[in-house]
Amino acid sequence: MRYLAMAALALPAIACTGTRPSPSPATLAQPPVLLPVPEDPTISFSISFPAGSQLDPPGKEGLAHLTAALMAEGATTRNSYAAILEQLYPMAAGWEVRVDVEQVTFTGRVHRDHVDTFTGLMLDAVVRPAFTGEDFERLRQRTESFLTRTLRYSSDESLGKAALYAEVFGGTPYGHLPEGTVAGLAALTPEDVRRFHRAHYTRDTALLGVGGGFDAALVARLQRELAALPPGRPALPPAPRPQLEGRRVVIVEKPGPATAISFGFPLAVRRGEEDFYPLWVANSWLGEHRNSSSHLYQVIREARGLNYGDYSYLEHFPEGGLRTMPPPNVPRRQQLFEVWIRPVPNDAAHFALRAAVREVERLAREGLDESSFNLTRAFLSKYSLHFADTTATRLGYAVDDRFYGIAPPGHLARFRRAMAEVTLAQVNASVRRHLRPEAMVIAIVTESAAALAAALASEAASPITYATPKPPQVLAEDEIIARYPLGIRREDIRIVPVEEMFER
Amino acid sequence: MQVKLAVAVLAGCAVASAAVFPYRFETHTLANGLKVILVPMPAEGLVAYYSVVRTGSRDEVEPGHTGFAHFFEHMMFRGTERFPAGEYDRLITAMGANANAYTTDDYTCYHLSFAAEDLPRVMELEADRFQNLAYSEQDFQTEAGAVYGEYRKGRTNPFEVLEEALRATAFDSHTYKHTTMGFEADIAAMPTMLEYSRRFFARYYRPDNVVIVIAGDFDPAAALALVERHYGAWKPGYQAPRVPMEPEQTAPRRVEVPYEGRTLPLLAIMWKSPAFDPADPQVAAGLVLGELVAGETSPLYRQLVLERRTVQRLLPQFQPTRDPGLWGVTAMVTDEGELANVEASVAAAVSTMAAEPVSAKRLEAVKKRLRYSFLMSLKTPEAVAGALAPMVALSGGAEAVDALFTTLESLTPGDVQAAAGALLRPERSTVAVLKGRS
Repeated sequence: MRYLAMAALALPAIACTGTRPSPSPATLAQPPVLLPVPEDPTISFSISFPAGSQLDPPGKEGLAHLTAALMAEGATTRNSYAAILEQLYPMAAGWEVRVDVEQVTFTGRVHRDHVDTFTGLMLDAVVRPAFTGEDFERLRQRTESFLTRTLRYSSDESLGKAALYAEVFGGTPYGHLPEGTVAGLAALTPEDVRRFHRAHYTRDTALLGVGGGFDAALVARLQRELAALPPGRPALPPAPRPQLEGRRVVIVEKPGPATAISFGFPLAVRRGEEDFYPLWVANSWLGEHRNSSSHLYQVIREARGLNYGDYSYLEHFPEGGLRTMPPPNVPRRQQLFEVWIRPVPNDAAHFALRAAVREVERLAREGLDESSFNLTRAFLSKYSLHFADTTATRLGYAVDDRFYGIAPPGHLARFRRAMAEVTLAQVNASVRRHLRPEAMVIAIVTESAAALAAALASEAASPITYATPKPPQVLAEDEIIARYPLGIRREDIRIVPVEEMFER
Repeated sequence: MQVKLAVAVLAGCAVASAAVFPYRFETHTLANGLKVILVPMPAEGLVAYYSVVRTGSRDEVEPGHTGFAHFFEHMMFRGTERFPAGEYDRLITAMGANANAYTTDDYTCYHLSFAAEDLPRVMELEADRFQNLAYSEQDFQTEAGAVYGEYRKGRTNPFEVLEEALRATAFDSHTYKHTTMGFEADIAAMPTMLEYSRRFFARYYRPDNVVIVIAGDFDPAAALALVERHYGAWKPGYQAPRVPMEPEQTAPRRVEVPYEGRTLPLLAIMWKSPAFDPADPQVAAGLVLGELVAGETSPLYRQLVLERRTVQRLLPQFQPTRDPGLWGVTAMVTDEGELANVEASVAAAVSTMAAEPVSAKRLEAVKKRLRYSFLMSLKTPEAVAGALAPMVALSGGAEAVDALFTTLESLTPGDVQAAAGALLRPERSTVAVLKGRS
């Protein structure tokens, strides 16, 4: 370990010399994203790279994530991590990193009183990480504990979502969590991390974003110092295009009183494309995140009180339990249509799944009606104001625009224009083209996996009982839901003990 | 429309002075006791509207009714005769508002963020539901099911399990003994409490127990006129509950908490804290002590998290509460064998605080961080109103913000040392250790 630590310290010293202006000054290949807000006394930073977990070599799942985590929360060649924290502390400033399958994005914000010191420290983290053995072990242990303790045992909702993505994208570069696998993490070495940094953090792929009350000198400094990164444009794997046939179920068996359910299927439409905006209207009506206007919420929670909430998505939405608005900086070339049923009592799991699938199928079959369309369009016209209500978030959206190839004024402006112009016919045409629930993956975290599998495969009735009276129309609909066919064959249901999740 | 927040005021504010809150605000009190705090600020057409009911789980004094403040928060979305739930939802949806609510130990908060043009309609809706809430027994019972679902959702989180046991051990009499969610048996019995819920509403949802905070892009005079119009007829009648006093703790307490799932062990070391008073140096010293004992630059953090790596997460929790509560440190420990060492390290760090004065330089760095982090958090009208809500709930007014920072600014190393010596004593402590299945 001592040896590794010394080696870790030695290497970046070479990179350090590269920060001096060279005879022919290197530049960043991409122009920066700039969002000046002169009266803002704070400055927001974004530095992103196509260095996400899709690049993890087989058997080394977690490499991209650990590399980025070490850059964000480790020593640099100039400062120990403790010394970095010490300097950032009185500024109440810092940075964080988001690692997704495609992109890695470092974001930070500081009051302009401290911008020089902050900028130097943040650049060090990106350009001159030390990758010490101590930091490596600390963050590897933390990530391993996240997979084996937190994710397996402390958040069934996140576990269900992770199981869904793993099942849909299994065998592709999107098929593992950015955090990796237990076996992948165990196989990593500090040298792997250093090599990954050299190969994938390059001046040809870096995208700089600056927002708020910055000046031109700051941008020039950031560009100059980031240009000290090595050149290179490593090839990216092709975007996965999973083809689902029929319905597949993965049941993660885990003791507990409640069942978490997620289901979904790949979407052939992305942000920026014509169909995306009308489809957003339909999705918002069906399941706007954390919003009681969502139809699924109305059916499952409001009318029946089965759980805390029920939502649907056209784009990856991590940390759904913690956020109310979509996060920037998780762009993907391949998205899922995803439904999230928050935990229901175990004996209501089959019923809740039927209720949700039935609503998705109804939407796919019938589309929206005029009044739902008008209400949802009015809602989104204003609700989208909340998507990016700070400079830092707007910067995040602008950076994502580059990923999706959306020209200025960008996705949010296009979104609002689309809400003014979209028609019901367009919404329903996009629904017909893209919502194809006949093929999907269903991920369930529950206690009695075999019994649920048998019930699903046999289409056994799943009558629901309530502790309290319900209106006749709810009870009448319950009769239909309880026998609603899901069309799942036993051979398409796989049971996984929770201990095996994220193992390899 | 672009949302661009002008935070110029923040730039102009002298961060070295004790007056930290960067926006001018007005406070008005209606004849019925309703307090309104208006914070006009540049916000490119956005407004945040917070209704703070100064009732939380602290007020659940009757046996069998724990969790009721939180449950009632859910019921507030069930509509009125004039605007039944569906109509309320439709109107809120049509204006694209971001609307939600939350409940804490000390208060319940209903908040919306929306375009400024919708302020009159929002006020009409909010004033109506606060005065005329009406729900059927069926709605009531259905919502009880949703609350049970929320409880189930949280039970897989070891931190929630730890907190439940910690409170039950630390308190004998005070209602901080139970979490905001309440005891499971009480949650299960909620569907039978329709009548109680009506009494709860009549007792606590009164103008003399509510503060409205409006922040953002609006005209204060017009807003005040709207408040008078919509809330003026609301009848006062708040009856403060008799929250039992907690007797002085005289000996250390300890609880071992089993956890069904697997988790790294959690260790909470807490002490009884003083009631919130922005002028009390002990309260301000608590904020500083949290940073000094377990903040990211504390010797303890460096030792346990960065060097020995025996702790994965070290969380100082020194937030103020309306009545004397709990504050302290929670650690996620990497190995059960390290629990005793970590506990001893925390105790040693606390002893140091009581034995030696912190350096003036270090204290200044902590004060600076607390100021800058507060200022930098005020990014949107929602953030501004959200930052005021707890201060308003605990003290009754927004003046508490500057008062607290004034006290903070005046703290000397001796004050911090004295507070540590007086408050962080073993006989005032409760230690909770949570271990998962192996």
